[in-house]
Amino acid sequence: MAPCPAISPSGNPSFPRLIMLNNAFLTLLALAIAIGGGGGSVWYALKTQDGIGAIRIGQWTAFPDIGTQAADPYSKARVAREGVLALGQAEGLSFIAERDTDGEQLKRQCAYEIEGGFPTARFWTLYAADRSLSVVETGKPRLAALQSYQVLRQPDNSVLISVSNRPAPGNWLLSDGFGRMYLVLTFYDTPIASSTGLSDVTLPQIVKVGCNA
Amino acid sequence: MRRLLHAILLGLLGAGIVHIIVLLLIPEFSERNAWSRLAMASNLYRMTRLDAEAGGTPVAKSVDPLFYAAACRFDLSDGMVRVKAPGNVPFWSVSVYDRSGHNIYSFNDHSATGKVLDSIVLTPAQMIEIRKDLPEELQEAIFVEAAIDEGMFVIRSFVPDDSWKPTVSRFLEQSSCKLQDY
Repeated sequence: MAPCPAISPSGNPSFPRLIMLNNAFLTLLALAIAIGGGGGSVWYALKTQDGIGAIRIGQWTAFPDIGTQAADPYSKARVAREGVLALGQAEGLSFIAERDTDGEQLKRQCAYEIEGGFPTARFWTLYAADRSLSVVETGKPRLAALQSYQVLRQPDNSVLISVSNRPAPGNWLLSDGFGRMYLVLTFYDTPIASSTGLSDVTLPQIVKVGCNA
Repeated sequence: MRRLLHAILLGLLGAGIVHIIVLLLIPEFSERNAWSRLAMASNLYRMTRLDAEAGGTPVAKSVDPLFYAAACRFDLSDGMVRVKAPGNVPFWSVSVYDRSGHNIYSFNDHSATGKVLDSIVLTPAQMIEIRKDLPEELQEAIFVEAAIDEGMFVIRSFVPDDSWKPTVSRFLEQSSCKLQDY
């Protein structure tokens, strides 16, 4: 190692240089943790489906405040990053389910039964969605979506819907393909969209029937 | 060793600060928000279909598959904007968003006179001005007072089944988004 008289004229050049390198390394480490950790944690927080401001009813999750000025910073960031145009209160409220009653993730290759009463609304729509929450491509003329004007009701006004890739009697929601599935249930022109209405709402159960793996 | 621990702690503290700063800056700097996507698709005061049905990729994310939607961008500093759509569809609803995608105001066909979509978006100052002498042709319009400059007007309309597709498409395609002279 060549002597470096500028740093250490005393004749022991390696000691101050080591401290300098050490300082530089520690500064870089602190910066790397700060930038990497800060950026990464934001990315992770925005990626997970249920976050702050979510309301859970059974397996269904809704974000009543999303897209409003009152929303938390995480919802605001998600809206900006994904280009969401959230439904207004006078329009409706969307619920998303990603798990069945046993707590397992919904899969497109499995059959499910959705059963129960639906809260008051002018009408509702239900569709099977992929990870980006757009409707699953079935490759068939039939959409993977149902709406309340076309469903058959049971005598007690509850609804039983079969989610399957094979035709089913009664109400059939077509799903197809493999991988994760989300169910999106949207109520339009509904009193539950105002936050006070959400307290005693019950939503239908999602029960797994079987899988053809 | 103590200095290493010190650096890691400092890094974690910095991570917290960076987390907050990044989170608050995303809405300001995002180039993927609805306004930017719409700006890529069309000009101001042009109704643009948001769903994939009209061809091309959908502009906005996660539009209900049983809905058609259209949107136009406007700038209230040019003057108030009037949105009209003729025709009779099973359900329509409207939202006014500001530039960063916040929902400012929404209403649906039950709020309108005879279910006709005729609405004016304007700033509070323009509202005071127009209240002095309300023109006859604006009597039935729904006034949306929004303290914003740039914004988006979105019309959503329900398609109960395939037979309604042409009607609902026509409803959205004949909708207009114009500066209103006053």
